[in-house]
Amino acid sequence: MELLDKLQILADSAKYDVSCSSSGSSRSNKKGQLGNAAPAGICHSWADDGRCISLLKILFTNCCVYDCKYCVNRVTNDVPRAAFTPEELCEITVEFYRRNYIEGLFLSSAVIKSPDYTMELIITALKKLRQEYKFNGYIHVKSIPGADLRLVYQAGLLADRMSINIELPSLQGLKLLAPQKNAESIIKPMAFVKDQIQGANELTIYRKKQLFIPAGQTTQLIVGATQDSDLTILKLTSELYRRYQLKRVYYSAYVPVNDDSNLPSLNTSPPLLREHRIYQADWLLRFYGFEARELLDEGHANFDTKLDPKCDWALRNLGCFPVEINRAPMEMLMRVPGIGYQMAQRIVRARRVAALSYDDLKKMRVVLKRARYFITCKGVYYGGVNIDSEDLYPVLAAQEDPKNVYGQISMFEMGSFAK
Amino acid sequence: MIYMTDGSFEGILTAVFEAFRRKECPEKIASQEPCQLTLGTEIREIETDREKSDRVYKAIVEKMSREAIEILYRAYLSEHPDVGTKIYDYIKIGLKIGGRIIYYLQDPDVLWIHDRNQKVLKEVHLFLGILRFRKLRNGIYYARYEPDNNITTLISGHFEERLSNQPWIIHDAGRDIYALYNTNETVFLHEHIPIPKNEADKKFEVLWKGYFQSTAIENRLNPNLQRRFMPRRYWKNLIEKQNN
Ligand code: SF4
Repeated sequence: MELLDKLQILADSAKYDVSCSSSGSSRSNKKGQLGNAAPAGICHSWADDGRCISLLKILFTNCCVYDCKYCVNRVTNDVPRAAFTPEELCEITVEFYRRNYIEGLFLSSAVIKSPDYTMELIITALKKLRQEYKFNGYIHVKSIPGADLRLVYQAGLLADRMSINIELPSLQGLKLLAPQKNAESIIKPMAFVKDQIQGANELTIYRKKQLFIPAGQTTQLIVGATQDSDLTILKLTSELYRRYQLKRVYYSAYVPVNDDSNLPSLNTSPPLLREHRIYQADWLLRFYGFEARELLDEGHANFDTKLDPKCDWALRNLGCFPVEINRAPMEMLMRVPGIGYQMAQRIVRARRVAALSYDDLKKMRVVLKRARYFITCKGVYYGGVNIDSEDLYPVLAAQEDPKNVYGQISMFEMGSFAK
Repeated sequence: MIYMTDGSFEGILTAVFEAFRRKECPEKIASQEPCQLTLGTEIREIETDREKSDRVYKAIVEKMSREAIEILYRAYLSEHPDVGTKIYDYIKIGLKIGGRIIYYLQDPDVLWIHDRNQKVLKEVHLFLGILRFRKLRNGIYYARYEPDNNITTLISGHFEERLSNQPWIIHDAGRDIYALYNTNETVFLHEHIPIPKNEADKKFEVLWKGYFQSTAIENRLNPNLQRRFMPRRYWKNLIEKQNN
């Protein structure tokens, strides 16, 4: 088989994994070697679906012995199959990197023969890449569910980041759609990896630095393959951040690839708006000091499609508003709909130089379209309608950004958080 | 009164020095490129003077901050026709309010500089990703690009570190500015040097294009989003966006 065909088959089967970012690591270049890992992620291109291409996202092979119902590569599907040799994989990675096409490699694989066998193949390839090809660029490796922890550990010593994908947000979903995987085969390695990261950090104090996935671990959840509510997903997410210290949870709107009575039918379009809302909420959890239970609860288990999660929260908590732009602390400014981290920072800094009027905000290009209903400037309210949810809901719902095209939150914005 | 400089950063800082020394308030600090003059406008030619510009440079660092001078320099690299005048305005304000100037965005002149700086930084970040090297037959990796801002000196350090064991050339084709790296050090040139065309190794370019096509999800095509992140004017030098 031609290398190009292999590459296309194995890229095609890897593309549903959504984690593309390459941030959070820093691996420096050594003289005579190739590459380094930048702490703020870099996008190298944007594919025709508008998603950022940062890493060469590829499967080692798509030959699989498992039969997960939601997956194109499952054993019972009739699709073209291919497998790289470790040399081929290393060469493509290095040559792409030298031409600045990519930030590094995202290597995943279907389960060929057994989880251990697959993991060993991956380790062989990564070793070759690091040791023979002297590659210091970013490597994100996906841990194969069910693989021996000893192998997980070895892979962790070679990679910058590791993901252990949960895919289905609830136990019922997992049983129904991925019968060969069990929760334990996912959670156990996650806990193990967390301990290893901590261990490596402690060792660093009195020994030469040992790198064990310095950019941490991540996971992915599929949205819309099961009946799970946004609340279930968000609760799981915040547990993952808290208990396993994940760096990121990614969400993937389910794209129907198989016909199965337990899955949405083939002509269902992927729930992109829902995916987008969950990403926004995830953002609020990680950077804006929100708790999952503030955003959703049993009586309100799914996000409003017409309002972003922050607006939705604000309308249910109008007692906190309006806030005075010249006095509100940073944390509160960040809770104002329409004011993001960067704008809040801009306001806090500028008001130290001189008190801000509504006009000043406009001059500073603070977007006031939504914010004006929730703030006062030097004591004056400029919203023009009553601050109550009946009056505000229609106004805000009508404002949903028409330019909004549901991509992941821009990398440039992310870069400024990574610092 | 208009001050005419040679368009260099030092030239602009020299002009600022002269404005303070002569207690004049020039309405513009322009570069030598022809600009429309209303009849009767006085023009003063400013000769770039390292000593004078250094004094202004130091004053900015001391009275404002290192960050302020970096912001001014990056704003300068936008090559906007008004940038000389705006730098002058910025310095005047900064000498009054000090280090806080970089946060004083309610002031339109400060905001103007801030915006230019942001645009330059944004383009730098973009090109760290979308700069494309082609491997020439002589083993040199050659990247041609056409940035809006004059950012070659700002991006080359990143590649020096990352691609440290291969010789490369970064070429700003619009300005004919080159960064030449020989695996040891980088040299900048501002003159035309001939680069052999059609001499690149195609194998991995073909593979990259193939990868680029396969990695997009057909049910989610979104050309608007793609263009928002990667404006069309940059496509000319992107391998994956060329059909053949
Ligand atoms: S194990 Fe992975 S590749 Fe194999 S069927 Fe399941 S999800 Fe697909």
